Amino acid sequence: MFEPLSKIPDGLRYYFGAEARLRRQIEDTAMTVFDGWSYEEIITPTVDYFALFERGMGREQAARAFRFTDTDGRMLALRPDVTSLVARAAATLFGERERPLRLCYVAPVFRQQQQSHVEWRRESVQLGCEFIGLGGRAAEMEMLAVSAEILERVGLKGQYRITLNSVEVFNGIAERLQLGAEAREVMRHLMDIRDAAELRRFLAAFTDSVEDCAAFSRLTQLTGKREILIEARRIITNERSVAALDALEGLWRVIEALGLTDAFEIDLADVSGLDYYTGTTFKIYVAGAGARVGGGGRYDGLISNFGTPESAVGFVLDLDALTDVLTRQPATLMNGSVSEPAITQLSNDNLATLFIAAREKRLKNERVSLGVKSQG
Amino acid sequence: MKNFDSVNSMKDKQGNEESPSSSLISHPSSLNNSSQPLLTIAIAKGRMQTDALALLARAGVRASDEMIKSRRLAIEDESGKYRFVFVKPADVPVYVEHGIADCGIVGRDVLMETGADLLQPLDLGIARCRISLAARTGRNLKSNLGAMRVATKYPRIAASHFGARGIPVEIIQLSGSVELAPVLGLSDCILDLVETGRTLVENGLEEVEVIAESTGRLVVNRASYQLRAEAIAKLLESLGRIVNEGEEA
Repeated sequence: MFEPLSKIPDGLRYYFGAEARLRRQIEDTAMTVFDGWSYEEIITPTVDYFALFERGMGREQAARAFRFTDTDGRMLALRPDVTSLVARAAATLFGERERPLRLCYVAPVFRQQQQSHVEWRRESVQLGCEFIGLGGRAAEMEMLAVSAEILERVGLKGQYRITLNSVEVFNGIAERLQLGAEAREVMRHLMDIRDAAELRRFLAAFTDSVEDCAAFSRLTQLTGKREILIEARRIITNERSVAALDALEGLWRVIEALGLTDAFEIDLADVSGLDYYTGTTFKIYVAGAGARVGGGGRYDGLISNFGTPESAVGFVLDLDALTDVLTRQPATLMNGSVSEPAITQLSNDNLATLFIAAREKRLKNERVSLGVKSQG
Repeated sequence: MKNFDSVNSMKDKQGNEESPSSSLISHPSSLNNSSQPLLTIAIAKGRMQTDALALLARAGVRASDEMIKSRRLAIEDESGKYRFVFVKPADVPVYVEHGIADCGIVGRDVLMETGADLLQPLDLGIARCRISLAARTGRNLKSNLGAMRVATKYPRIAASHFGARGIPVEIIQLSGSVELAPVLGLSDCILDLVETGRTLVENGLEEVEVIAESTGRLVVNRASYQLRAEAIAKLLESLGRIVNEGEEA
């Protein structure tokens, strides 16, 4: 079959012109913010062993990677995730370094299958950071503060919302109801799509208490500010979940003190990434994007795959999604500052004169465009 | 269409102000602004549309008869807070997943077939029907499990149903008049939406197995659920109240 070379594979694209400039600007802004919070840039390999990602992301997520074999027959993958690579480096290269480690990166990730129809891309650039070696609220709050600062600096103040939850809220309930793996997954799914009625029917098989069924299905609707925690405490009494609610409340107090409550929300029904995260999780939404543009959380289990167990928390922002949103909002700050500086046109038949003039302009950091004729 | 609205409102604003950057800073937050853009609800055309508009009206979200009869594909309700857009059932999840519509009303059959990644907070109990397997009356499907041919508009539901049972099938995708396929010998059976079963009977078919029940669902975009939390909570509450009344009655 004849395939024209003009065809671009699905889910891949070019960036150029104003969009490319905007994208670069967002990237620079994020990296500057990371630097401002003392995050050190780490550049990871683009290709690594598939087994690393399988351990790092879990089998299901890693299965989305583009895979191929190394010369010795071992399976390689185009990096579908950066965190696995950073976690390994933390345990090996930085094994002896003083904790906490603060690392940041900007790197494309490659994934074959999309999880939703909105995820059109197979290559997307992640802006991310990882805070390794310290448990507790301070590290989590730092993630929230850094992500909020990036979003505000790129001109999305008042247009983003970050939701908070802890996987331990769900885990505590599943444990108390003694759910097996399959039932746990059904409950997770029903929570995730927020089908309260179906969840109530489903839970009836696991508890005799009608109040419990009603209460736990009410969780699907618990999205909001601090009052959500008060209501949740009436519903949930198991120790594990209550500890998670305490932690969320602690974070919320800091968010209140920072005057950021409009931009944040507690969402107790957010149950994605249950087998990856081990504590607080968050998701980042921006007006104008139909799907979330980022997220993160605590993943204390990951680094133990590579050595000794260690606390870690991190987040990523999707550079391509942010570029999409900001490209369509011509009035944002970001776009204002991306306007093109003037260009000086230079032309001269004498090449030496032309390039001497050009060098002078360039030494003053002016933009030049040379009128070069083809001279063979 | 909230994106479009917010861009427009920003442009208007900018026109009256000196500097675009100061206009952004003073621009009221689109999340907490009282003059929010309309909440857009995509509704599946056909029977679902009639039932959904009736249910919405009972919940206090009413479009004028004039608007409804106008054949316009996008109309506003009387309060000016909601916009309804009427699209083909299979397109409802598309609009909602992309956040172009904040919410949608669509049958569970469509959600199962498209596998859309959406919130499904409310079963509206309207347009009730079932997804069933049907074959020519008297035909024993079990005798032919080696290579059964299934004609359907729902290839994904068919594949997952038979796949889970380890039954190999050849799925023949059609886009309408599926009942004809077994009659003319294109397939051994069909997997289709059944409401009363009359069409089946009239074509010499019988329902063999009910695979799933389907009703109209309210679906919500994941980002809208957070970014338009108040407006959506209000809609959910008023619709929920009507649905519960219906169940108790």
